[in-house]
Amino acid sequence: MAYIHVDRAVKFFPREDGTEMLVLDGVSFDTKAYDITCLLGPSGCGKSTLLNVISGLDRVDRGQVEIISNHQKSGARPPKLGYVFQDPRLLNWKRVEDNLIFALKGMKVPSSEWPERVHKYLDLVGLLEFRKQYPLYLSGGMRQRIGLARGLVVQPEVLLMDEPYSKLDQLTARKLREDTLSICALLKQTTLLVTHDVEEAAYMGDRIVVLSARPARVVNIFDNPFPGTERSLDDLHFIEFKKKVLQTVLNLIKEEV
Amino acid sequence: MAKQEKALVVPGEAEPFSQDDVLVPPRPKAARGKKAVWNNSLRIASVVAIFFIWWILSLIFPPTLIPKPWETLAEAGAIISSGNFFVEMGSTLRRVLVGFGLAMAVSIPLGILMGTLRNMESFFEPPVILGLTMPGLIWAVLMIMFFGLTETSAYAAVAITIFPMLTISIWQGTKSIDKDLIDMSNVFQATPLMKIVEVILPQLISHILAAIRYGLGLAWKVVVVVEMFGFSDGVGYQVVRGFNVFSMKTVLAWALTFLIVMILIEFGLIGWFERTVTRWRPRVEAWRR
Repeated sequence: MAYIHVDRAVKFFPREDGTEMLVLDGVSFDTKAYDITCLLGPSGCGKSTLLNVISGLDRVDRGQVEIISNHQKSGARPPKLGYVFQDPRLLNWKRVEDNLIFALKGMKVPSSEWPERVHKYLDLVGLLEFRKQYPLYLSGGMRQRIGLARGLVVQPEVLLMDEPYSKLDQLTARKLREDTLSICALLKQTTLLVTHDVEEAAYMGDRIVVLSARPARVVNIFDNPFPGTERSLDDLHFIEFKKKVLQTVLNLIKEEV
Repeated sequence: MAKQEKALVVPGEAEPFSQDDVLVPPRPKAARGKKAVWNNSLRIASVVAIFFIWWILSLIFPPTLIPKPWETLAEAGAIISSGNFFVEMGSTLRRVLVGFGLAMAVSIPLGILMGTLRNMESFFEPPVILGLTMPGLIWAVLMIMFFGLTETSAYAAVAITIFPMLTISIWQGTKSIDKDLIDMSNVFQATPLMKIVEVILPQLISHILAAIRYGLGLAWKVVVVVEMFGFSDGVGYQVVRGFNVFSMKTVLAWALTFLIVMILIEFGLIGWFERTVTRWRPRVEAWRR
């Protein structure tokens, strides 16, 4: 069991002229354990900053950002994170399976577990038969799938996904969203997905946290009334829910103008 | 073939079709073989052209200035079959390879450090740039004066002469590596050793291959100069002997034998190495159609 707990997080960025720019203005939310939480906000609102803080690459100036997990409480080891990037960011000189092994090796997973894990997660994303291929011989969608498998193979307590579908064409993205949803449900994977796409957030998120433009504040938090398996982009009730989220975002933009 | 094309995707560029079925089987063996025959024919044609021009020149000038190509080849053949050849060539090659190896062992780590750390770059930039302009001949003289006529002076002269060029190549290559991949390695907690061996070095492979080729070429030029100064073996020494009796044929024949050895190294060893380490990369075919 693990989830991300963000409590009144405040973050300044130094400007060139020495003054400071407020990026996060008291952001508070909890993600749902075992579920997907979407962080929805306009471009440049500080979503990436928040991700950096969660993944430990950056710190907040005030407030708290932590990953609450059973292991963490006993203080045994830092929370394990998996990461899926906007670009696949694969090591193109390594075969598909060796890209997964790179992550396992970095996370100090004993090598006796590698073959079994690689097999399991490549099978989940549907790329088992391509495990000996080099990434550049595969399509963009397949490469993003390898990225997803690499994020999952370390069996993270929290999986962070940073706009993972924004560079794919619409059909490929749609298929990959469906598959991600069912894989994460199957694994009961606690996931934080950052996006600026309202439909994507409504479709993927069990919980949707809407952020304002910079400085980022939490505007609204929606809990998705539809379980992951029952969301259909064409269902009227689902469209109603999507509109509700969209309206919140549109109001935001209106305020700004 | 149509399937093949779809896969030739430049990383980072949006591809028109990214359906999940675009897997590419490796090119059929027969087609690859045909292509290879054609490429080899081109290589042979280029060598034939050089000999043709040589032959034309030999008709114009007297044989003491430009000997006939086949006579020179016969002389080269005689040198190779004399048995003496392997001793002389062995000495020269050993000096080239030891000097080159020493330079490479310093250049790769130093180049990576200069490309990744600002302080290292500022500190080592002046000596490397200055070193580039220093003629190999001067290094040869300095090393022989310092170490005497020993193997050490040959190794040192070769290493010092080619080291700046190798370092610049690796250093500039390191600056152009993909920083996103470094971020990725950090997220997955890769160790520094993993980052160097599995993330940085593979991205430098083109630069390293270019450095190997330049480096070996330059090393051979320096080693001959060193050997001319008074070594009693090596290709350089044999060339001086040819010069002393003013036998153009001997000088050219020795140069020719060395070229043959270098070509074997280039197409055999380096070519094999290049194919092995770049198998992951689809060929760039910019001029198709």
